[in-house]
Amino acid sequence: MSAPMSPPMTHGTRDTRGPAAWAALRREARFVARERAVWAWWAVVLLLATLAVAGGLHEVAQQRATIARLTEADRADRAAAQQPLKDWGSAAYHSFHFTHEPPSDLAFAALGRRDDTAWKHRIRLLALEGQIHERDAAHPVLALTGRFDFAFFAAFVLPLVLIVLLHGLRASERQAGRHDLLVATAGQTAALWRWRVGLRAAGVFGAAALPLAVGAALAGTAPATLAAALALLAAYVLGWAWLAAAVAAWQRPAELILAALLALWLLLAVLLPAAGRGLIDRAVPLPAGADILLTQREAVNDAWDLPKADTMAAFVERHPEWAPYAAVQRPFEWKWYYAFQQVGDQRAEALSRAYTEGRRTRERWAARVAWLAPPVLLERQLQRLARTDLEALLAYEARVRAFHAELRAFYYPRLFRALPFEPEQLEGLPRFGTPAAAP
Amino acid sequence: MKRLFTIAAAEWRCWQRSRLAVGAAALLAALLLATTVLTTLRLQAEAAERAHHQHQAEAAFRAQPDRHPHRMVHYGHYVFRAPAPLALFDPGLDAVTGQSLFLEGHRQNTALFAGTAASADLGAFSSLSPAWVYQVLAPLLLVLLGHGALLREREAGTLAPLLAQGLGGGTLLAGKALALVAVVGVLLLPLAGAAGLAVVQGESPVAGASLVLLYGAYLLLWAALALAASALWRRRGAVLAALASLWIVLTLVLPALAVSATAAGGGGAGKIETDLAMLTELRRLGDGHNANDPAFAQLRAKLLAQHGVQRVEDLPLNLRGVVAEYSERKLTATLNAWAQRQQAGEQRLATRLAAHGWVTPVLALAGASRAVAGTDLHHHHRFLQEAEALRYAFVQGLNRVHAQQLAYADDIRRSSDPEAERRTRVAASTWQLLDRFRFVPDAAPARVARAAPQGLMLLPWLAGLLLVLAVLGRRLQP
Repeated sequence: MSAPMSPPMTHGTRDTRGPAAWAALRREARFVARERAVWAWWAVVLLLATLAVAGGLHEVAQQRATIARLTEADRADRAAAQQPLKDWGSAAYHSFHFTHEPPSDLAFAALGRRDDTAWKHRIRLLALEGQIHERDAAHPVLALTGRFDFAFFAAFVLPLVLIVLLHGLRASERQAGRHDLLVATAGQTAALWRWRVGLRAAGVFGAAALPLAVGAALAGTAPATLAAALALLAAYVLGWAWLAAAVAAWQRPAELILAALLALWLLLAVLLPAAGRGLIDRAVPLPAGADILLTQREAVNDAWDLPKADTMAAFVERHPEWAPYAAVQRPFEWKWYYAFQQVGDQRAEALSRAYTEGRRTRERWAARVAWLAPPVLLERQLQRLARTDLEALLAYEARVRAFHAELRAFYYPRLFRALPFEPEQLEGLPRFGTPAAAP
Repeated sequence: MKRLFTIAAAEWRCWQRSRLAVGAAALLAALLLATTVLTTLRLQAEAAERAHHQHQAEAAFRAQPDRHPHRMVHYGHYVFRAPAPLALFDPGLDAVTGQSLFLEGHRQNTALFAGTAASADLGAFSSLSPAWVYQVLAPLLLVLLGHGALLREREAGTLAPLLAQGLGGGTLLAGKALALVAVVGVLLLPLAGAAGLAVVQGESPVAGASLVLLYGAYLLLWAALALAASALWRRRGAVLAALASLWIVLTLVLPALAVSATAAGGGGAGKIETDLAMLTELRRLGDGHNANDPAFAQLRAKLLAQHGVQRVEDLPLNLRGVVAEYSERKLTATLNAWAQRQQAGEQRLATRLAAHGWVTPVLALAGASRAVAGTDLHHHHRFLQEAEALRYAFVQGLNRVHAQQLAYADDIRRSSDPEAERRTRVAASTWQLLDRFRFVPDAAPARVARAAPQGLMLLPWLAGLLLVLAVLGRRLQP
């Protein structure tokens, strides 16, 4: 660990004379260098940050490997499934398509919602509402306990380290009887404490930032993204250092200061977020997920018994271009089958949209409440940078919906115009993540 | 004995005079009360909603009109998992696992719509439950109260006179310990209340008592830690900083690190990956919708020989139904084998994580607590297994109807001949074959037995700390 170069509280030099300030800084640096407890904490921060980053890098590598394996297995499975087929309808029925959201270049630092929200699906032409809520989620016990990623470490553990490190700065001097002497000889008292706090905090920042920077270099993170993450981290460390120093200036015994700071942490990291979550969930109701599926399912199943013309009429409302081809003669025709799949989606559309909108509204409120709770704010901001927040996963969901629409655009002309089945055209099936080809 | 009580009473008086101690205790009490009330209310609402959905789904299935039985195989059915009574204290995995499952022919679906997925995202600690408050925050109070037990005597210069009067160090320490044990006893009251509430709602008293015992052991462990630190160091700042660091490491850092380490060990193939591997295997089994699939030629030949007929139309059974039943059986065997493999893998990962409980007691406690409450991985898997049993029962019931009540000649023409299609519909009364689904946790002794391995991980900690305290008491010096 290198000696801390620039303490975050640089404005301390403004109200001091240059040479005196340098002398004070050199003196404090010498003191800090001799304090084994400070070095121990810096080492602990370095170790924890390294573990967090290494774990994140490993997880991201695993996710990429999974994606590569699944992409290949998906291709092979589709080829095998399509091989014996004789018409477009069963080709659509048996062809699944792998969709996924790859981890971003900063995902290693903030795995975020990727642990409890689906980032991969296999989709086919059937009603989408029956498929998109599938969650190929991570292990439930691991998701519940929560992973030690860098965002968790920085947002929740780092403040506690700063609290333990900084709470006793003045009280310990006072208890040792050195406080007044120190203040009398230091010249500028405010500057003295600033250096003391600043050097310790800068060391903490350096010990946390170094593994992050190394991880970013290994992961090929865009420099701007890394810079943003480091700036957030610096501001956060600065904020907590200032807070800890302010409370530590209180002329009380060290344990009272420590208890007060822990209570503050508890308030900002646990109580406010928990209360906010409870209130938001209560204020923004969501339709029950089960209702979406029940509605869609009922619509799809009822269609078998309804007059086919009713289904086709509902379908044509959305797709007037197929009105000339909408007549169904036989008891079973694929175009009718997929039409009622789409009608099932249409029936559930209002509920499904309310569900997505509700989640967005909750997310907007959570973003506002986070301003009251800095740990949550930092965690969310890092997840946002890493594109592992709810916003990114909702965007992925929207892309899956768009992809499903592309599938429909590929098959509908072939089904409705009753085009001859040509297996080689299956090569032209839309692929997730690439721009749509013209049908 | 009397001296022990005197010492303990003096300690209590001292805490009562300390605004810090009283304030912290009041904060914790308020938190426990608030989380218990809120979790109970939320769970009651959820239980009512799921029971309602379950009832609705069963009524909808049974109310379906006359139709082809295979249509009902695809119509499918929903099951919902009712929360366990003790979930009001420890919701456990219920928050992250799906609570509803769609059952249909030829497929085993995943459980959908976990509570957290749609909840407002406010960070790692925003889903407060009474269990979490006990696991993570209650130790802080014990640290705050316990760290000064001997320090105070040292600082006030009363330790030397006390020891000089012939009061043994062990007795003094035991008196202080008694005071902390009383604190633990008071702390357990809200838990006992919650457990009592669960008992009223049908939970077994054995489970409630085990939970109290578990948390009691865990809290005693922290009390012992605080007391040992108080006897070991002479500087108040050092004691408190050491205990606070220990709390950070044991309750926040190590459990999360254990998760990262377990995840890095790999071995958790997801649903899609398992499905793809399985599909490759299934392709060999043939398509149950197509009775002419070569995979069924053998079955067909066997049936024809058995009944001594030449044509499928002359069989007393509908070949399509027989094939559907046969292939569902084969398919389900494969599905179950893969599901078992998947669940065994998940269980292995959970066991690997649980092993870290030796290092960090909160992980051991949390695992044992979920097991007793019936909100652990085992119960999630059992929900999936029971749902699968129900799925198989109604699908095969329908397939038997398909084989026995429908004429093959009608069945093969129903896509092209409306009259044949009409004859392949069976009466709506058939749909009564669907069984009721109500998920109930394991019997309490089984749950307690499953919690034992993790619960017992607390014992070495307790025993070790008691040993340390005994040694410290004997060597106690002013």
